[in-house]
Amino acid sequence: MRGLKLLPVTVLLISAIFSLVLGCRPKAPEVYKIGIFSPTTGPAAADGTSALHAAQLAVKFINEAGGVRGKKLELVHYDDSAKPDQAVSVAHKLIEQDKVIAAISGSYSGATRAAAPVFQEAGIIMISAYAIHPDITKTGDKIFRVGCLGTVEGKVGGALVVEKLGAKRIAILTIDNDFGRALTEGFKSYLQGKNVEIVFEDKYPLGETEFKAILQRIKEANPDVLFASAYYQEAASLVRQAKELGLKAQIVGQEGYDSPKFLELAGDAAEGVIIVTDLNRDDEREIVQKFLTEYKKNYGIPADMVGASAFDAVQILAWAIEKGGPTTEGMLKALRELKNFDKAVTGPILYYTEGREAVRPVGAQIVKGGAFHFFAKFDDPALITPPW
Amino acid sequence: MIEAIFGQYTISVLIFSGIWAVLTLSLNILTGYAGQVSLGHAAFFGIGAYTSALLTTRYGWHFLPAFIGAMLITAVVGGFLGLPSLRVRHDFLVLATMGINFVVVGVFKYTEFFGGSMGIINIRKPVLFGIVLSGEKFLVLVLAYLAFTVWLSYYIARTWAGLAFNAIRADEEAAEAMGVSVPRFKIYAFIISSALAGGAGSLYAHFLGSIFPDHFAFAESIAILSMLVFGGLGTIRGALLGAMVLKALPEYLRIVGDYRYTIYGGILVLMMLFQPMGIIGDGSWLWKKWQEWRKK
Amino acid sequence: MASFGQLLANGIVLGCIYIFIAIGLTMVYGILKILHVAHAAIYTIGAAVGLAIFQLCNNFWLALFLAMLVSGVAGMLVYQGVYRRVLNAPRIVPLIISIGLFTLVQDLLQKDWLLGPYMHAFNVNLNFADVKTSMFRLTSVEVVILTLAIIFLAAVYIILTKTRIGLAWRASAQDTEMAAALGVNINWVIALNFLLGSALAGAAGVLVGVYYNNVYATMGNVPSYKAFVVIVLGGMGNVTGTIVAGLFLALAETFLVATVGFVLPRDAIAFLLLILVLMFRPRGLFSRG
Repeated sequence: MRGLKLLPVTVLLISAIFSLVLGCRPKAPEVYKIGIFSPTTGPAAADGTSALHAAQLAVKFINEAGGVRGKKLELVHYDDSAKPDQAVSVAHKLIEQDKVIAAISGSYSGATRAAAPVFQEAGIIMISAYAIHPDITKTGDKIFRVGCLGTVEGKVGGALVVEKLGAKRIAILTIDNDFGRALTEGFKSYLQGKNVEIVFEDKYPLGETEFKAILQRIKEANPDVLFASAYYQEAASLVRQAKELGLKAQIVGQEGYDSPKFLELAGDAAEGVIIVTDLNRDDEREIVQKFLTEYKKNYGIPADMVGASAFDAVQILAWAIEKGGPTTEGMLKALRELKNFDKAVTGPILYYTEGREAVRPVGAQIVKGGAFHFFAKFDDPALITPPW
Repeated sequence: MIEAIFGQYTISVLIFSGIWAVLTLSLNILTGYAGQVSLGHAAFFGIGAYTSALLTTRYGWHFLPAFIGAMLITAVVGGFLGLPSLRVRHDFLVLATMGINFVVVGVFKYTEFFGGSMGIINIRKPVLFGIVLSGEKFLVLVLAYLAFTVWLSYYIARTWAGLAFNAIRADEEAAEAMGVSVPRFKIYAFIISSALAGGAGSLYAHFLGSIFPDHFAFAESIAILSMLVFGGLGTIRGALLGAMVLKALPEYLRIVGDYRYTIYGGILVLMMLFQPMGIIGDGSWLWKKWQEWRKK
Repeated sequence: MASFGQLLANGIVLGCIYIFIAIGLTMVYGILKILHVAHAAIYTIGAAVGLAIFQLCNNFWLALFLAMLVSGVAGMLVYQGVYRRVLNAPRIVPLIISIGLFTLVQDLLQKDWLLGPYMHAFNVNLNFADVKTSMFRLTSVEVVILTLAIIFLAAVYIILTKTRIGLAWRASAQDTEMAAALGVNINWVIALNFLLGSALAGAAGVLVGVYYNNVYATMGNVPSYKAFVVIVLGGMGNVTGTIVAGLFLALAETFLVATVGFVLPRDAIAFLLLILVLMFRPRGLFSRG
C-alpha cells in the first residue's frame, strides 16, 4: 500500500503550503482593531453588505471625532458567506493573525453560533449585531447581543396588537426559522389570558414567494390583524399579494421588514403596514439623523435595521474601549456599567442584562407616504426585559 | 507543538478540509467505484451529524459511542435511501439523490425532534480518556479517521466488493450476467459510503458545537461532488487533493476579496474543459507525468 | 376552502412560469442528455437584462424582447464555447461544468457593477388588463403571463411539429447518430435548440421579475433545481410532457398549501413527488413511453 506512505507526506506538504500562504502576520500599527465577519457573497450578501457598510460608517464617524483614547479604530472584515465553517476559520484568523481586541458578528445565526465559542475561549468579546438565536449569548460571558431579542420583539408586538390596535381576531404567520419562531413565541406569550382569539396560525418556508394560497385561508378566517414574521423579500411578496387578494386585515411585521428594499419591492402595497422595530426614522437625536443621511449619501440606498444594528455594535464597543481600556476585562467592566447609552441609533440602550442582552425601549414604525415613520414606543419593563 | 507552528486558524482550515476529505472519499466509493452518481451526499453527512448531536446532547451519550452510533444509523438509513438506485440510473439517479437531500433537510427543518429551525446546540467537544479534544488534538482525531477512510478505500478496491463495484460501474447488465448481484452491491455501496459520511458528520457536529438544517443542504452535496470530480473521480488521491484544494480554496482566495466564488466556479469550468479526469485522476496530465517520472 | 377558481387561476399562472423555465431545460436534455444547471444562470441574466433595458427606456416589450435575445445568444455561447467540447466526455463532466458556470455567473452578477447584493424592484405598469370575475381575479401581469405562455408555447409547438428544423430536432432527440447519418446538421439543430430554450428562460426571468417585483443575483437558485422536478415529471426530453408537468406541479403545490399548509418546505414536497415518480414511473407522469 504505497499510497498510504504518501499520505502523511502529502498532508504535511499541503499543511506547510497552507501555513505559508495563510499565515501572513501583519505588523501591529497604532490602531485599535475590531474584527467583523459578515456575508458579502452568497444569498445572504445583502444583509452582510449592509452590516459591513454601517460598521464602516460608524468607524468613520468615530475616527473623524478623534478616535478612541487617542487612537484610531480599524475595522477588519472577512466574508463568511453565512457558512458556519468559514465563520469559525475567520474567527480564528481575526484572533490570531489580525489580533483584534473585540469582534462583531454581522452574520446570521448559524455562523454566529459557530464562531461564538471560538471568541469565548480566546477571551475576546464578540457582539452579535442582528443574529437572533437565543443561545448565542448563552455561549459565555464574552458574548453580547445588540439586536432586540426575538421573544421581546414578539411580546411588544403582542402589546401593540392588543393594546394599541385593539384587535380581537388575530392571525399569525410564522417564517420557519429561528427568527420567526422566537417572534411568535413572544407574541403568543403576551396574548395569553387576553381577550383575543387566534383565528389562524401557520408557518411558511423562508424564501417563499407564493403566498396567495395561504392568504386565501387567512382571508377566510377574517382576522383584524395579521402578525406575519418575514424578511423583506417575503414581506414584500406577502403584502403585495395580500393587497391583490383584497385582504383587509392590518398587517403587522417586525424588524425583518425594516429595509428600504421592503418599501421598494412592495410599492404602494406597503402603505399602512406597521412593524415592530428599533430604528425610528423620526428620532430627533443627532446621531440617528446623521447615520441616516450619511449612510444614504455614502452607499446610495437608505439604511436598514441590519445596518443600524451593526452600527450600534461598533458604537458600543468604541464606548467600552474608551471607558474601560482596550482589554477584555476593561471592556467587560464598562459594559456591565453601561446605562442609558445614547449613542445607539436603535434607541437608547438602557443597560445590559446578566445574560448580556441589550434592554431598550422597543418601537414601532408605520409606512406612510412610502416611508417609515414613528408609530409607537413601548418601555414598560415587563415588556422589554429579556428573560435572561 | 503543532499549534505553535500552524496556529488555530490553519488548524481549523485543516480540520474542515480533513472532514471534507472523508466526505469526498466516501462519495468516491459510491460514485467513483460503484458508478452511482449522487447529488445528495450531504444528506448522509447531516444524518450522521444530527444522530451524534442528539445522542450526546439529548441522551447523554459519550462521544465515542455516539460517533459509532452515528455511523451505524447513517449506514442503515443510507442503505434504505439507496433504494432508488435499484430503479433508476445515471441522470435519473442524480435527480433522485438530489430529491433525497431536499426531503431529508426538509424533515430536519420541520420536525421538532430534530430541533427544527432552532437546530441542535451545545454539542460538546469529544472527551477521550479524560482529555478534551479541541484544536490540534481534534485535528489528530480527524486525521486518524481520515487515515482509516483512506485505508478502507484501498481495502475495498482490492476485495470482491471492489471488483463488483467496478463491474457495476462499467456495465450493469454484463455484471449481472457474470453473477454479480447488482442490487445487493449497489446497496452495499450506499451503506459503506453513507456510514463514512455519517462519521464525518459526527466530527463536524462536535467541532462546530451547533448544527442547523441548512448546513446539509443541496449546495453542500454539489460542493462535495465537485471536489471529487475536480481531484479525479475514482481515485483516492484525487478525492484527497480535491477536498484539500477546493475546501481551502475560498480561504486562499481571500486575497482576491469578493471574487472568490467567481474564481472557484471558473476553476471548475476550466478544469473540466482541459482536464476532465481531474487534477490527478487517471489519465490526467499530472498523474501521467508522475508515473513517467517514477519509471525512471 | 378558499375560492377554488382563484386557486386554479393562481396555480395556472405559476404553472406557466414553471413551464417557461423548464422547456429550455428539457429541450437541452432531449438532445444532449446534459443536466444543464447553468440554465438557471441564463434565466437570471434574462431578468437582469430585462430590468436594465426597462430602466433605460421604460418599454416593457422592448425589455422583454432584448432579454430574450441576449439570453438566447448567451445560451448558444454556452453550448458553443463550453458544452460542445465535452460532448464525448463522461456524463459527469458537463454536469460539473454547468455547476461551475452557474456559480461563476451568479457570483459575478452579485458584484456592485452588475446587480449587486440587493434586490431590485421591477415595476412595470401594465394596468390595462385586470380581470375580475366572480370566481377569480387576475392582475394584468398575470394576464400577460398567460397570454405570452399561450403564444410562445404555440410557437414552440408549431416549430417542433410543422417545420423542418423541428423535425430535425425531434429526430436528433430520438437518435442523434441516426439523424446525423441522415444528413441533419446536428450542430445547427443544437445551437437553435439552445437559442430557443434559453430565450424562453430569459423571458421567464423577466416575467418572474415583474410578477414578484423582484430581481436579484441569486434568483436562479430555486429554479436551478425546481425545473428539474418539472422535466422529470414530464419525461426528460418530452416537451409536451413538460408543459403538462409544469401545470400539474404548480397546481399540486398550490392546492396542497391551500388545504394542508406547509407540512414540509415547498421544495421538499416537490422533490418527494419527484422521487415517487422516479421510483414508480421513471418515464415521467405524462409521457407516452
